[in-house]
Amino acid sequence: MTALQHYLLLAVALFCIGAWGVLARRNIILVIMCIELMLNAVNIALVAFSNYTFGGSGKGQVFVFFVFAVAAAEVAIGLAITIAQYRLRERTSVDEMKEMKG
Amino acid sequence: MTDFHPVAFYLIATTVIGCAIGVVVFKNLIHSAISMVCCFIGVAGIYILLKAELVAVAQVLIYVGAISILILFAIMLTRHRSGDISIFFHRQSWVAIPIVALVFIVLAGVLASARYNASPESMNLPTREMASLMFNQYAFPFELVSLVLLVAMVGAVLLASKEKKP
Repeated sequence: MTALQHYLLLAVALFCIGAWGVLARRNIILVIMCIELMLNAVNIALVAFSNYTFGGSGKGQVFVFFVFAVAAAEVAIGLAITIAQYRLRERTSVDEMKEMKG
Repeated sequence: MTDFHPVAFYLIATTVIGCAIGVVVFKNLIHSAISMVCCFIGVAGIYILLKAELVAVAQVLIYVGAISILILFAIMLTRHRSGDISIFFHRQSWVAIPIVALVFIVLAGVLASARYNASPESMNLPTREMASLMFNQYAFPFELVSLVLLVAMVGAVLLASKEKKP
């Protein structure tokens, strides 16, 4: 294996663990945490490709910053929805969130 | 493979994978959150190994600093039930493991067999050139992403604020 493949294998493993958490767990905050793990895996793949191919042009790293911003926005919205839902129903389980209307 | 440090890589990769598994399997949400913070720190170490210092610093600032605090506050603001395993995992959660294992095998097989036009050494742009790339060639997406962030913050405040019933 080359060095690039090591990093990509790590990214794939992290992505799959995050997907496992999203599929298997019930708590919505934990689902959000696992989505963050998956975004981190994508970032590792982006940086690895950016630094090992095309002479290290660095464009992948610029995209990592965009992913950071979108991840921050996603966490803020997700947790706001969680807290609004909790005020309404006192529940944080994804099974019990059948309706989102207030 | 002159600049690839196998010992450091395997040490950090084991930490990252172990902490990620901890996030999924811990029953206490606070333990999961702490495990997630350790995983993020490990990912920052991976960026250092890849010679992407700017991304590593941003990772520590944004993920370890901001996002984990946000998640910890959300855990503290909500009450969580305790009980046996059925409260934490779906009844059908065993189906997730073979599906994810299949995805992993397919992806790992593809990346092991694919041919990359990769250089053996990791190369990285200096921070100054990264900044000029970001603010010249990608200036418009940068502004757009700041707008997305602003809209998301206003929306989050609106959603989470207590509304007064008339």
